[in-house]
Amino acid sequence: MGLGQLLSYPFMQHAIVAIFFAGIAFPLIGVFILSLNLIPLRFAMMHIALLGGAVGLFLKVDPLFLGLLFCSISSLVMGPVSEKMKVGLGALSGYFMTLTLAIAFILFYKANIHVVQAFSILWGSILSLTFVDLLLVIVVSVLILGLVAVFYKEIQTILYDREVALAVGLPEKMLYYAMIFVLGLTIAVSMRMIGALLIDAFVLLPAIAANLVSKSLKQVFFFSSAFGLISGMGGLYLALVFDLPTSSTIILVASLIIGICAIYERRTSFYGKGTSG
Amino acid sequence: MHHSIELEDVHARLGNSTVLNGVSILASPCEFVAVVGANGAGKTTLLKITNGTIQPQQGRVKVLGYDLSRSDHCHSVRKEIGLVPQRTISHRFPICVEEAVLMGRYGKIGLMRRPGEADREKANESMKAVGIFPLAKKPVHELSGGQQQKVSLARALAQEPSILLLDEPTTYLDADSSSEIMETIHSIHHQRRLTTLLVSHDPQWIDQYCDKIYLLKEGKITLTRG
Repeated sequence: MGLGQLLSYPFMQHAIVAIFFAGIAFPLIGVFILSLNLIPLRFAMMHIALLGGAVGLFLKVDPLFLGLLFCSISSLVMGPVSEKMKVGLGALSGYFMTLTLAIAFILFYKANIHVVQAFSILWGSILSLTFVDLLLVIVVSVLILGLVAVFYKEIQTILYDREVALAVGLPEKMLYYAMIFVLGLTIAVSMRMIGALLIDAFVLLPAIAANLVSKSLKQVFFFSSAFGLISGMGGLYLALVFDLPTSSTIILVASLIIGICAIYERRTSFYGKGTSG
Repeated sequence: MHHSIELEDVHARLGNSTVLNGVSILASPCEFVAVVGANGAGKTTLLKITNGTIQPQQGRVKVLGYDLSRSDHCHSVRKEIGLVPQRTISHRFPICVEEAVLMGRYGKIGLMRRPGEADREKANESMKAVGIFPLAKKPVHELSGGQQQKVSLARALAQEPSILLLDEPTTYLDADSSSEIMETIHSIHHQRRLTTLLVSHDPQWIDQYCDKIYLLKEGKITLTRG
């Protein structure tokens, strides 16, 4: 089957549009995760989605929908709960990670659910997105881009230092919680697209690469989006041409970009030091 | 008499330990007040209570007429308080000095609005006032601890505050730089007619600049001078 013919199929068009939006928007969440050190929260969200999937299979409701619902609710409550209980978000994430997994296993056991079936939520597939999935990707992407564009100066201050944001009189808590909520939504939607285990391809890897070559936060956001788009589209193209799994090729392209950025960073910092004496 | 800062019988706990045990402090408008105490005496907690970041377990806190037991008052009063924290930024965050100083304007600009030319001008004036204007384009994480503290001071001044809170402003500085920064703070305090509350473990630079000194020991005020 030729590439042109492949592109005429709706599933392929869905994949291309989803990669376009997610490639541009989702890496901005990666910038939040890296700057605020929220990697444990991202792991917790994966496990919470798994519990949602387990409940879905138990109740015979769409497991992916319940995964999304569980992630949205937990991302809404985890920030305030962590502040109220005076427990760091990292520790709270660890708590939720193990608790949700324990409950999920009880459900699998009691309902006689095959574990592989339940864990299917962790894989995802960009080539099997429905129209509703695509709409979700677009809505969450627009939400992320809107949040960053409208609240840029507030987000910049929170990413720099939450205490400074509070001290200068910004509504730091409200904005921080909003950022965590959007992060939860992004993780949940990414799972439908690419699977929980490979979320980093869209969310973290482009942001890591951008951090290596940027000199301002605006550049970090810009390069994150650019690298996300390049790795998404490049990965899809390679998958189609060489008949490989899309998620893996997207990660390979993103990793290659990180490698190139790391070499660039080493060279510029080496010559920078050399010239400054 | 109307005071800018009134802390009355303030008690605060961090975890299981009592940090402040019935502390009362008064600062009149344009007064330069220092609280001196050893590390762990509760000085930073005192500053956080004064800008409404944390609530005391007991006692009354009134700043610029705002009762800080109300959260809406805490939010309003923070826009009028310039805070210079002790800690510095060690992680690599891509931001230059002028952007970090401009953040002092963000609370007053309001949500969703971008800083204008007047805000940038105020940030420039603040950088000049503390002598870091030549560093405007430098990344903050590349600065020394002392230079970063000056960035925090410039940011606090860009806020055009009525009150300046300083947490150990000479911590990262050598003797010459400590004297220089204290001179700068003192002159800004007079020029801008600020109420200044400084906490420090080092009484060396305090005597000659402050109108009033409190000695904080084991969570209690043990001595007041001035």
